[in-house]
Amino acid sequence: MRPPRFRLVPGSDPRPDAPERAERPSARLASLAVALTVAFGALGVRLWQLQVLQGEYYAQLADSNRLRVHRVAAPRGLILDRRGRPLVTNRPAFSVSLLPMELEAPRRVLPELSRILGVPEAQLWARLEQGRSRPFEPVRVRRDVGIRVVTVLEERRHELRGVVVEAEPVRVYPYGPVGAHVLGYLGEVSAEELEALRPRGYRPGDLVGKAGVERQYDGLLRGDDGEQVVEVDAAGRPLRVLREQAGRPGQSLVLALDWDLQREAEAQLAGRAGAVVAMDPRTGEVLALASSPSFDPNAFAVGISERDWKALAGDPRNPLLNRATASAYEPGSVFKVVTGLAALQERRASPGSRFVCTGSLRLGRWVFRDLQAHGVVDFTTGVAQSCNVMFWLLGRSVGPEALAQYAAQLGFGRPTGVDLPQEVEGNVPSRDYKERTWGEPWYPGDTLNMAIGQGFVLVTPVQVARALSAVANGGVLLQPRVARAVLSPEGKVVRRFGPVVQGHLGVRQEALAALRRGLEAVVARGTGRAAAVQGLQVAGKTGSAETPRGRPHAWFAGYAPARDPRLVVVVLVEHGARGGLAAAPVARALFERWWAGQEQAAYARPGSP
Amino acid sequence: MSAVAAPRSLRRRLRHLDWVFLVCTLTLVALGTVVVTSATSTPDQPLGLLRPRLVHVVVGLFVLAGFAAVPYRSLGQVWKALYGGNLALLALTDLVGRAALGAQRWLTLGPVSLQPSELSKLALIVTLAWTLSHRREPFTRPADLLPYLLHAVPPFVLVFLQPDLGTSLVFAAIVLGMLWAAGVPRRHLGGLVAAGLLAAPLLWPLLKPYQRMRLVVFVDPGLDPLGAGYNLIQSKIAIGSGGLWGKGLFAGTQNTLQFLPMQHTDFVFAVIGEELGFVGTVAALVLFWAWCVRGLRVASVARDDFGRYLCVGVVSMVAFHTLVNVGMTVGLAPTTGIPLPFVSYGGTSLLVNLAGAGLVLGVGLRRSKILF
Repeated sequence: MRPPRFRLVPGSDPRPDAPERAERPSARLASLAVALTVAFGALGVRLWQLQVLQGEYYAQLADSNRLRVHRVAAPRGLILDRRGRPLVTNRPAFSVSLLPMELEAPRRVLPELSRILGVPEAQLWARLEQGRSRPFEPVRVRRDVGIRVVTVLEERRHELRGVVVEAEPVRVYPYGPVGAHVLGYLGEVSAEELEALRPRGYRPGDLVGKAGVERQYDGLLRGDDGEQVVEVDAAGRPLRVLREQAGRPGQSLVLALDWDLQREAEAQLAGRAGAVVAMDPRTGEVLALASSPSFDPNAFAVGISERDWKALAGDPRNPLLNRATASAYEPGSVFKVVTGLAALQERRASPGSRFVCTGSLRLGRWVFRDLQAHGVVDFTTGVAQSCNVMFWLLGRSVGPEALAQYAAQLGFGRPTGVDLPQEVEGNVPSRDYKERTWGEPWYPGDTLNMAIGQGFVLVTPVQVARALSAVANGGVLLQPRVARAVLSPEGKVVRRFGPVVQGHLGVRQEALAALRRGLEAVVARGTGRAAAVQGLQVAGKTGSAETPRGRPHAWFAGYAPARDPRLVVVVLVEHGARGGLAAAPVARALFERWWAGQEQAAYARPGSP
Repeated sequence: MSAVAAPRSLRRRLRHLDWVFLVCTLTLVALGTVVVTSATSTPDQPLGLLRPRLVHVVVGLFVLAGFAAVPYRSLGQVWKALYGGNLALLALTDLVGRAALGAQRWLTLGPVSLQPSELSKLALIVTLAWTLSHRREPFTRPADLLPYLLHAVPPFVLVFLQPDLGTSLVFAAIVLGMLWAAGVPRRHLGGLVAAGLLAAPLLWPLLKPYQRMRLVVFVDPGLDPLGAGYNLIQSKIAIGSGGLWGKGLFAGTQNTLQFLPMQHTDFVFAVIGEELGFVGTVAALVLFWAWCVRGLRVASVARDDFGRYLCVGVVSMVAFHTLVNVGMTVGLAPTTGIPLPFVSYGGTSLLVNLAGAGLVLGVGLRRSKILF
């Protein structure tokens, strides 16, 4: 060892910094080595913390850096009519989404994207905000962009980091407004819906059925989206697919609808507000269900704009309302089916019973007036002429409780259970109801009004169809059904919907037969002559329902063939004034159309005459 | 010269060769070569920057041998020329240098690009060691420090102006280390450091916005996770995700998928962390630590003060580089843009560090008085 350079005897130096100066150079080097050892040791501890203690955590971060999960959208199932004609299909399209974690410069990218897509910038920001909580999942900002937009986005993908284009089919309704209330439409899943649907794989921005069978059968129409795990580099370029899970397309739905009949119904209602329900009384299958005015569900297929939505929802004609199921009306004389059946079953009338109609009925201080004096009528003629006086007498005779009971047995006052959302139940009044709702006792005049379907009685067209079907089929209350079968994506039938019996009328067959004779007379020689079809015996009942909101509603409810009913048709024309004039011809058109189809089928069937 | 001339004396000197120091140096260079190749490998060019790196290594090994062979005192004797040349080169760089990453650091001479600030570290070490070794009296008053601080200030300022904050801090570390070894009283050095820290806010306005941002995000990287904080975050993810054993060479996703920025230069340590794991990072740290401690051992047995100060200066330089660079990649130090010695890709830096290692080896070789 070299002798230390600064050698002083400790303590001999009078200056205060003497001890320091006594330090040997090698001691200084040693302390330097110690300091370095401590510093390197600190780094080692830090590395232990990062790599060993938190290694798992950082490994996950590294994975989320490089892995992207792409959804491969599964096409929604098709919707077909009873003969397999496609009513709702899909078409390939592209959607544009934002991937929040890759969107480094939203201030630059979003205005640019707004210009390219034509979507307001504020809407893009709102979407981005929604996606913040799940930065690795793309949030859709626009569906169904054209190929030109896709090209522009792909060309500029480096400037527009965080914008992704995905293939996603778009729903197509080839017939536009025809059948729109049955088919329904799609809309973006709402926050509340999402809460319930997330376990089934729905995510924000997904489309979900909002009305019609699209909503009713959303679960089976919707497929399971596939997933692709892709490795990307720092620029977001996909490098390779690491894992792929195939999706499964949705199941297809065959409806009971006969599209020819449906189109006929819509054509008949064109320009008027109203509804048509056509039903097979033997099975409950709904062959046509129309509501007018209608709307074009295609407008919803890519997410409806706020302006269009407001225009539709705020339209005073209320095109979104399904008048066949979701709106209740005064039934007017159509309700005489209930009164007549009650009187026959309660033996207050028989086909041969005679009534004197002077054109009015005196009740205490009041006089109830009919449109005309029918003179002496038997029961059948009274039905055919829709004689109010006869039904007043019958109603007064059986009383309001019996009327309400028979109305309930025919299914009024409760939903039909038709497989369409948002059905209303209508109303069958009672003493209790009037006292509760109006704070007044039940007057005898209320019974008279109820007997002819006025006053507090409210029914939906589909309820009328169910009730008339029960009359036509011998007394079985059947659930009206729009769906007929479910097909697998490969086209195999996986489920058939059979008739659902909801109850039996429990009336004598003679009573039913007497009522039906009256209904036949309505079309043969009464108020419903306009519903008559050459070569087909039609039975039915007209109605002109007084309403406080304008001209009377026109009703016709009928079935054919009269002796072997296979089709029930119910027509409602809002403010159509006279059932026999406004509604019966609509029904005739449907019966004719149907009958033409039946004859065609009969000729086509091999071995038939 | 004499080293080459006398085989007999060469053998004698080699008895004094610090083999551990040399092996540490070579292992670090080899590790760097492998990791740089991994960090720059692409599907098109699987070998990445291996070829230029090998050129740097070969040249560097000659430089190392040369600096070990040349009698180190002869460098001291030309200190004035070294000092003047250094200042001239730095000034020239400030004036006509090539800019990269927002700073003028490069000087192009034909096909060769130089970073004069790297060379000036070595020049500072040699010239300061020489002047320090000629002091006869002990340091007693604070004013005694003045000539040596004045010695260091001009190159410091020129580098700071490039701007190269990292290298100016390296200068400070070198000066502090050498003054410490020269026996400057603790109080004076403490005062010097305190004065430097107090003066730091005065330098704040002189910093470029990106330099300020680096200091800000060091405190809170989440402040700008996709901008200035991005490097820090991605580096920590790379190192942490390496775990105990690493993902294997060429298999780090942060590295190969380009999430890690500057992965072959300033952030090369993160590639070691990701691909070789805790085992790899600790091995690298042990190599650096052993290198520094052996370098200090050589300093303690040097035959003269000049040799001792040379060793301390070189160790200070490499140790500061290593601690700050590794500290930066693990989030313990701000981003200053100084490379990892022997490992990072970069010719000038590698040559300077190998030259420094050569100097230390040379001091070690001449520890006995027999041959000088």
